[in-house]
Amino acid sequence: MPQTDPDAEFVARAMAGDPAGFEAIVERWQHRIVGLAWRFCRDRATAEDLAQEVFLKAYRSLGSFRGDSAFSTWLISIAVNTCRSRLRAEGQPLLSLDPERLFATARSPLCSIEEHQRAEAVRRAVLTLPERYRDAILVYYFEEKDLAESARVLGVAEGTLKAQLHRGRELLRRRCASLDPLAAGASMEEL
Amino acid sequence: MTPDDLDRILSSEDDLAPSSGFARNVMAAVRRRDAAPPALRFPWLRFAAGVAASGVMAAAGTVLLLRSAPALAAMTAPLAPLATVAPELGWAAAAAILSLGLAFAPRLLARR
Repeated sequence: MPQTDPDAEFVARAMAGDPAGFEAIVERWQHRIVGLAWRFCRDRATAEDLAQEVFLKAYRSLGSFRGDSAFSTWLISIAVNTCRSRLRAEGQPLLSLDPERLFATARSPLCSIEEHQRAEAVRRAVLTLPERYRDAILVYYFEEKDLAESARVLGVAEGTLKAQLHRGRELLRRRCASLDPLAAGASMEEL
Repeated sequence: MTPDDLDRILSSEDDLAPSSGFARNVMAAVRRRDAAPPALRFPWLRFAAGVAASGVMAAAGTVLLLRSAPALAAMTAPLAPLATVAPELGWAAAAAILSLGLAFAPRLLARR
């Protein structure tokens, strides 16, 4: 386990059977994992359910964590696989407009509702892409465009991920071609 | 929509914050899991004992059959004339078994 891994202490405690160690991990990672699950489903209840499943899986598999990669990479890989499996098994949840969500994240008066809806439509369009492109785009932007870390999480070569991102963005651009600011509302209905 | 627009939109995602009791719920689920009795393990020992006993029985049966071959030959001697029509008998038996099977299959399936 790398010495610089900030989770090392909590992981060691959790592996030794100390529930407080795992609780610290949950506290520390809940925002990131719920956030990632949210990107995969765009539904709060489903996202929290998925995130809980991720933590339970991580708890069960802690014994298999060898420290070959950072704990964050290991945990996010579990999260991606869990989201992917759930979407495969149950299909994409029905996406609906959530006014609370739409307005809650508007940053400033300059960020108009139309602009916000347009952005949300694009993010939802990502979920309609073929799985490999969808996962590549979601993880790459979740990891703040860190190509190497995204490739490690997805378990693919960096070159492969680059190609998937290029192809995925091209597909997305074509699908979102009709999304101009004025058409945003109509596009949301279609999606 | 330009690639730059897409990049800007995808980079500016605001993640959803978990509900206030989320961590508490997760830990409750973890404790429930810890408190639950462990899953039953496959009874390998019993399985191995059963396999061994079956092997011994099969070996004993084979030995018994080989030792009693002359007695068996004497017992089956009256059936020797049937050997000439053995293939026909075999087909007839197979047809009978198949017919009975087809007749009873619906009832057996209905019971499930």
